[in-house]
Amino acid sequence: MIPVVSDLAPLVCAVLLAVTGAGKLFGRRTAQVAADTVLVRVLGDARRAALALRTIGGVEVALAAALLAAPTAVVPGAATAALGLGFTGYLGYARATAPESSCGCSAKQEGPIGLLSFSRAGLVVLGGAAAATADTSWWSRIADRPAVSTVFLVAATVVVGALTADLDRLWLLPLRRARIRLFGNPLPASAGPAGQVPVAASVELLERSLAWQAASPVVRSALLDSWDDEGWRVLRFAGVYEDMRGAHPVSVLFALDRTATIDTTENPAVRVSLIDDETEELVPADVLAPVPSRTALPLAT
Amino acid sequence: MRQNHENTGRPLDRRRFLTTAALGGATIVGASALGGLDADAAFAEPMPSLDPAITKSAFAEGRITRIKGSVLEVAGSYGDQHLIQLTNVTSIWKLRPTTADAVKVGDGLYARGVDMPDGTIAADAVWVNIVNLYVTIRGIAKDRLHFTHGSHETVGHVVPDTTTASYLGGALTPDLSRVRIGQAAQILGAWRPADDAIDIARVTVGH
Repeated sequence: MIPVVSDLAPLVCAVLLAVTGAGKLFGRRTAQVAADTVLVRVLGDARRAALALRTIGGVEVALAAALLAAPTAVVPGAATAALGLGFTGYLGYARATAPESSCGCSAKQEGPIGLLSFSRAGLVVLGGAAAATADTSWWSRIADRPAVSTVFLVAATVVVGALTADLDRLWLLPLRRARIRLFGNPLPASAGPAGQVPVAASVELLERSLAWQAASPVVRSALLDSWDDEGWRVLRFAGVYEDMRGAHPVSVLFALDRTATIDTTENPAVRVSLIDDETEELVPADVLAPVPSRTALPLAT
Repeated sequence: MRQNHENTGRPLDRRRFLTTAALGGATIVGASALGGLDADAAFAEPMPSLDPAITKSAFAEGRITRIKGSVLEVAGSYGDQHLIQLTNVTSIWKLRPTTADAVKVGDGLYARGVDMPDGTIAADAVWVNIVNLYVTIRGIAKDRLHFTHGSHETVGHVVPDTTTASYLGGALTPDLSRVRIGQAAQILGAWRPADDAIDIARVTVGH
């Protein structure tokens, strides 16, 4: 292999393993993360899964130390490659049996197993293989060829960073933002014809209106139906009113300007009518609750 | 939904009738059309609760395990069981106002209604799969939003003619183009049990 790559591979692998290993070994959320992994099913219970995850973290940290201290030895590199192969096998198994489970790779991000997880495991295999062939220690290689080493380390950091789910907000979000700045926001600016007020906006206006307060003793359901007619938007609710003869189911109909929203008016005029479901007759409005004529002062929040 | 089935043949006639009735003899509630205008009225009874019928209500939530006619068997999150009776005036929300046909086994629900003597709850209103999440927008595509809720990545689908947005406390609008990546947002929507995604009813940003 290229000498710079193989000689600096121990350093890169060691840093990567130290970070992910320490995350698993000392992370406060390891138990929580372990509970979402496929390890639970393999090992039977969540406590053992957490223990397994912490053990792997310990192995990773030990390997990182070995790679840093004895970069020219073959064993740490080979062990790293073997660990990477193990990760790949584990991910393949988890992906096949429980694709929704979390990989637990870095003990921070919970996320389903995807391309990132496999790329990371593959990187560990390659890095370990390269590290096993190192014949000069990384510190003397950096001292010999500082410029090339720096370029390689920066490139390695970028690759590892790009493959780390925890860090993708550093590069993925700016990339997506730039795309939207270039090509515009892909979401629809307006779904329907201009000026069309969604029904949800009419309901929002209604629920802040005096008419809603007045009808509150009667209305029992949420919105049942709505339609537009001659400039009005009619909203139908189900309700019950009580009189001497007992309780009667009614349709509560609110009609309001179909172009009005809370942006255009604070006090919409709303037509309220109650229609008895059994007799289909209009119920007199005196079952509506009287509403105080003073409007409430807005509250500072 | 007995009444709805009766009406499916001529829902427009029914609406026409209701419109005529509603606009013909309606009470107009405007700024001061209803209620006393004298000073005493200000000191009259305290304002009623804004949520209708809140005091008489029973609540239930859980996953639907079985649907038998118009009765939903619901397993609550705390091991409790409910029988929810849908009636011809039960409002059913599943992303939008819909009918009982849209309710499926495996759906989650919140129901508000009245306890009946036989132990069932006669539902006034049912909200199926409703979710209310505080999220961070992570990605925007033509027909969906990507966001994180805590550390969970979720996809929210934009549904034409249904998804609305509210900016800075303004009115709900179909204009979604002002949503930005990185913004904190409140997502109201319907969870889809099949793929664990969400159909978005409402995005609220800048609240």
